[in-house]
Amino acid sequence: MPKVAKAAMAVPFALFFVFSVALLPNLLRIEENDSFIRLNWSESLRGLSDYFRGFATGETFRFLSGRTELSFWDQIGGYFQVSLFYVAAGALIGMTIGLLAGIYFSLTRSEWLKRFVELTGAVPDFVSVLLLQFLIVFIASQTGIVVFQVASVSTDDPAIVLPLVSAVLIPANYMIRNVALQMKLALTENYIGFAKARGLSKTYIVFFHALPNVLPFIKADLHKLLGILMGNIFVVEYLYNLHGITMLIFTDAFAYEGYQYALVVNGLIALLVLYAIAYGLLRAYVWGWEKVFAR
Amino acid sequence: MNKTLFAGLLITAFMIAAALFAGSIAPHDLTEQVKIEYIPGKDGSKGTVLAPPVAPGAHYPFGTDKHGYDLMAKLIDGAKYTIFLSIGVAFARVLVGGSLGVLLGYFGKRSSRRFLSSSVWNVMNGIPIFLISWLLLVGISINSELSPLSLSLLMGVVLTAVGIPSVASAVKEKTRVLRERPFVLAAYSLGANDWRILRSHLFPHLKESLLILIVQEVVLVLTLFGQLAIFNLFVGGTTMYMDPPEYHSRTNEWAGLIGQARGFLYVNRWILFIPLAAYVLLIMGFHLLSSGLEKLFHRRYAKFSQL
Repeated sequence: MPKVAKAAMAVPFALFFVFSVALLPNLLRIEENDSFIRLNWSESLRGLSDYFRGFATGETFRFLSGRTELSFWDQIGGYFQVSLFYVAAGALIGMTIGLLAGIYFSLTRSEWLKRFVELTGAVPDFVSVLLLQFLIVFIASQTGIVVFQVASVSTDDPAIVLPLVSAVLIPANYMIRNVALQMKLALTENYIGFAKARGLSKTYIVFFHALPNVLPFIKADLHKLLGILMGNIFVVEYLYNLHGITMLIFTDAFAYEGYQYALVVNGLIALLVLYAIAYGLLRAYVWGWEKVFAR
Repeated sequence: MNKTLFAGLLITAFMIAAALFAGSIAPHDLTEQVKIEYIPGKDGSKGTVLAPPVAPGAHYPFGTDKHGYDLMAKLIDGAKYTIFLSIGVAFARVLVGGSLGVLLGYFGKRSSRRFLSSSVWNVMNGIPIFLISWLLLVGISINSELSPLSLSLLMGVVLTAVGIPSVASAVKEKTRVLRERPFVLAAYSLGANDWRILRSHLFPHLKESLLILIVQEVVLVLTLFGQLAIFNLFVGGTTMYMDPPEYHSRTNEWAGLIGQARGFLYVNRWILFIPLAAYVLLIMGFHLLSSGLEKLFHRRYAKFSQL
């Protein structure tokens, strides 16, 4: 099977996955005064059939926010932009920092720096967000200066710096560790010793002998990095009160009239589109690195 | 000396001991509540008014929450859920996922012609695990009639199930590499059957990495607890009050204490900070444990840099 067809196969499966995952809150539910879980098939299947029936009437692409009815197409643009900005920034800046710092880390002997990065890598994303917010509040309470906004109060005046830092920090940390690990493995290979024996400079060996052999591993690992990015964006948007796709799913999944199946499905599909765009961006970016450091 | 391993062991042992025994020596228990009271000063000097929440001090080392309950008592009470459930889930994940992975890796076909290509699985990355867990649990866990214990167990089952695929695929890859090693061929040509090769040739090579995997999974499970708690799904169930909307953990589980105290970023910060510190310390303990074990097992195999 050609590569494109294989990749295209992913689309129906992803859609199937989205449709079934979004069924879960309706399916698994405990009614009042009920002490066991019942599978609520009829209601969840009704949600599913309503979704497809709603295409004709446009009902599928309307949702309730509290008690206000909104059009999905009118709203999604703005939400999508916000999410795309942070995911793309996290992906590209994180990748750049990861590659450069990762190379540095594989060569340096300063153990404490490596240890610090490794230790902070274990800190969950939401903890680092809370700690950053904490730091700002602490500085403000000590000096009276609010360095950055702790969270968005309104859409007109969004917090930018802190969410951006949080969106970059975690992918960058992951990439640093990954690149450093692969780089170290590459440096144990015999061709490095051979290149050294030929009298090539250290910088040249690192960038033109080792790095081209590290990049394929980075490319193979892109999906994992994106998985981290997508998990991270949920936490970042929620804790900084940013109006992105994930926030849309969480705040409006349960509206005045109960669970909104159509909205969750549409939101998750938008999220997968975002994933695809970010993947394309990263592939192009790594491709650029490969072209620059090819021999 | 392996300092990392030592530090990890020390922290985790301390935490487990606290979860098991600290209840009896703690200064306050869960039922004790600070009411507004006036403490007259000695020798006729001005007295002080004690009102909840009490900041950390001599009487309440960790302070109290806004209803006047001791945070230390809450942490000790919740510790058993946090620590033992996360260890249990990690163990179950590695037990089920690991056996699945070993079997798949050993008996699996070598050819990569599978019906579902890897790109299908890769796309699933776009939907984070905690979102799937959230969707699974949100209809059950909030204002539920079930007991906290059964809700915790239910959450444990869900978190085990969502974690099995990644464990299984990691172990599968490792087994596949081991299967190609000469000693497996040697055992095979000496007439060992599959079961024997698995038990006495493959498993001994896998057991260190399985142990490390368990500890790493504990960290991942704790992270999931925390992420779910940020979205108001607490281990052991959430009690939700309307007007104003407030979420309370039913078990005092640590991630739950963090999640319900998220509003205390600006005032009475210890209510958020102390559970957060305990939680991070626990994660750090397990993380140090895993990297210490890694160091211990890999020291002898390490190659050196040629540069």
